[in-house]
Amino acid sequence: MTNNGTRWALLGVTAATAVGVGRAVARRRHRHQPQRQDGWYVVRRAVTVDRPRDEVIGFWADRERRDRALAGWATLRQLDERRWRCVARDRAAGETQWQAEITVEEAGTLHWRVEDGPMPQLGRIELAEAPQGRGTEIRAEMRYRSGPLRRLVGLVGGDEPDLALRDALRRAKALVECGQVLDTRDDPSGRSRAQEKRTDRMRETLMTGGRA
Amino acid sequence: MRALCWEGVGKLAVRDVPEPRIRAEGDIIVRVRASSVCGSDLHLINGYLPAMREGDILGHEFMGEVVETGPGVRRHRVGDRVVVGSVVACGGCWYCRTEQYSLCDNSNPQPVFTEKLWGHAAAGILGYSHAAGGYAGSHAEYIRVPFGDIGAFAVPEGVPDDSVVFASDAMPTGWMAADFCGLTGGEVVAVWGAGGVGQMAARSAQLLGAERVIMIDRFPDRLATAAERIGVETINYAETDVLEALRELTAGRGPDACIEAVGMESHDVGPTYAYDRVKQAARLQTDRPTSVRQAIMACRKGGTVSIVGVYAGLVDKFPLGAAMNKALVLRMGQMHAQRYIPMLLDRLAAGEIEPGYLATHPLSLDEGVHGYELFEKKEDGCLRSVLHP
Ligand SMILES: NC(=O)c1ccc[n+]([C@@H]2O[C@H](COP(=O)([O-])OP(=O)(O)OC[C@H]3O[C@@H](n4cnc5c(N)ncnc54)[C@H](O)[C@@H]3O)[C@@H](O)[C@H]2O)c1
Ligand SMILES: [Zn+2]
Ligand SMILES: [Zn+2]
Repeated sequence: MTNNGTRWALLGVTAATAVGVGRAVARRRHRHQPQRQDGWYVVRRAVTVDRPRDEVIGFWADRERRDRALAGWATLRQLDERRWRCVARDRAAGETQWQAEITVEEAGTLHWRVEDGPMPQLGRIELAEAPQGRGTEIRAEMRYRSGPLRRLVGLVGGDEPDLALRDALRRAKALVECGQVLDTRDDPSGRSRAQEKRTDRMRETLMTGGRA
Repeated sequence: MRALCWEGVGKLAVRDVPEPRIRAEGDIIVRVRASSVCGSDLHLINGYLPAMREGDILGHEFMGEVVETGPGVRRHRVGDRVVVGSVVACGGCWYCRTEQYSLCDNSNPQPVFTEKLWGHAAAGILGYSHAAGGYAGSHAEYIRVPFGDIGAFAVPEGVPDDSVVFASDAMPTGWMAADFCGLTGGEVVAVWGAGGVGQMAARSAQLLGAERVIMIDRFPDRLATAAERIGVETINYAETDVLEALRELTAGRGPDACIEAVGMESHDVGPTYAYDRVKQAARLQTDRPTSVRQAIMACRKGGTVSIVGVYAGLVDKFPLGAAMNKALVLRMGQMHAQRYIPMLLDRLAAGEIEPGYLATHPLSLDEGVHGYELFEKKEDGCLRSVLHP
């Protein structure tokens, strides 16, 4: 059984990958403690995508799209009917490798688990129909702990994974709705290289997190 | 290429900058043929709309020729003459699907600032600061237009560049302002601000059925132009008590709809003006709302106040009691360019709206700094400087 029902694992990859340690480091300044439960930090975020649930699933199940989206930074391998393994590299964090196992349940639910990465985490995505024909709510919950690497760079708690999750959902929404995630970083300007660098730092602040 | 850049509050310069390139499948590159100044640029230049960075290219009201298309572009070909809406819209989100393009969910790649300020981020706008996405603007030889199929429109033959350029911003903004008024025919509409936006709003109100349009400003030449070109009545607020005059002109009722096309740098003659300027300078309020207050006070009971002048943050002494007790309808927003442009191009081609007279100062790109000086000070009868790179 390799129908769309399980192949939309890519959506899980997108969410899991976004919380590699590199991005987290860039986001340290946004410090505040997330909720804790049974020794895990827990964050919940959701986004509404203006497409029916089947279309959302179909989008992430598309093989070509998947390969393009993964190009360069991750591989996705099917383990059995429901389970996938994603091996990803986080370039921003000096090529740290980490693995996620993604389990897809038919009913619009998937979870992922990262055990050996810089940030151990458990995640869950649920697709629910939005009211008034407003499409699909992608609801995500993520639990994470501080791995050794995170402790090394001084990130014990903090809300960076939360910001990263929100980014991930916003990107997922944009990809489904309009096929791209906009970026204006390469637009021309009259800035010197040093000015551009400073502006990029500001851009990062304005791009990071936000309402999913 | 050459481009007009913001260099700090009140400072502009023409610089050499890199050319834009196609970044996404739906992008088009437009060689700019005409790029107009707009009242919103003044808010950006003067630092009232935040998040400008040194080196940002200004300009968002423009037309030109398609010189390159991304592989996903269907509606346009190299060589097409197009006008481009200022607002960037993805075409695929709920807001775009319901034609509320300036509320697009996906077109501002830097949404965090405005989410904090407003609760949600609105659409990106070309050449309109990093709060609106950080897009390079159109006062340049070339510009990248994302979602070219959605944001760019083929221009009807025979309509000159310096006329159709206003279908990018001033016309759709003016139209939306009048559209908000819910006119059914025979109304009296008052319009604050006789700039390009106010004048297009006045003309649109006539086309949508207003019987009388009254324009309010302090520049006699702007008022005279509006009277002559559109056939409006005028009030000079520097000489006349506006509320008195409007009451008089409507036999005590007040205008059925009041359009505010002035924005956050509103000017006034009374003591509240000094109060507002001090508060704005001290950042106790970010915007000066003189004309909005007046519009609310003037509007007839149960009437509509339509705000298209741009506001960014907080205002002071907002007459909420008047609005509440007179049961006013308040409508406002950045314009939904893509919703109105096709219809406006038809009206342009049919001669129903003739905005060409707004281009009082056609200039080269290198004269851009001067163009803004004339526009800001409203010197030499300047309604809009239009730059030709
Ligand atoms: N909503 C949108 O999408 C949108 C689009 C374009 C422009 N705008 C905004 O519309 C406004 C007008 O733009 P414009 O290009 O016509 O600008 P403009 O500077 O040419 O015109 C503004 C006019 O308002 C007049 N004015 C100032 N204080 C006044 C007062 N108290 N009462 C009456 N008139 C007063 C000025 O004398 C001037 O003639 C600006 O705020 C601009 O940012 C909004
Ligand atoms: Zn404008
Ligand atoms: Zn959209």
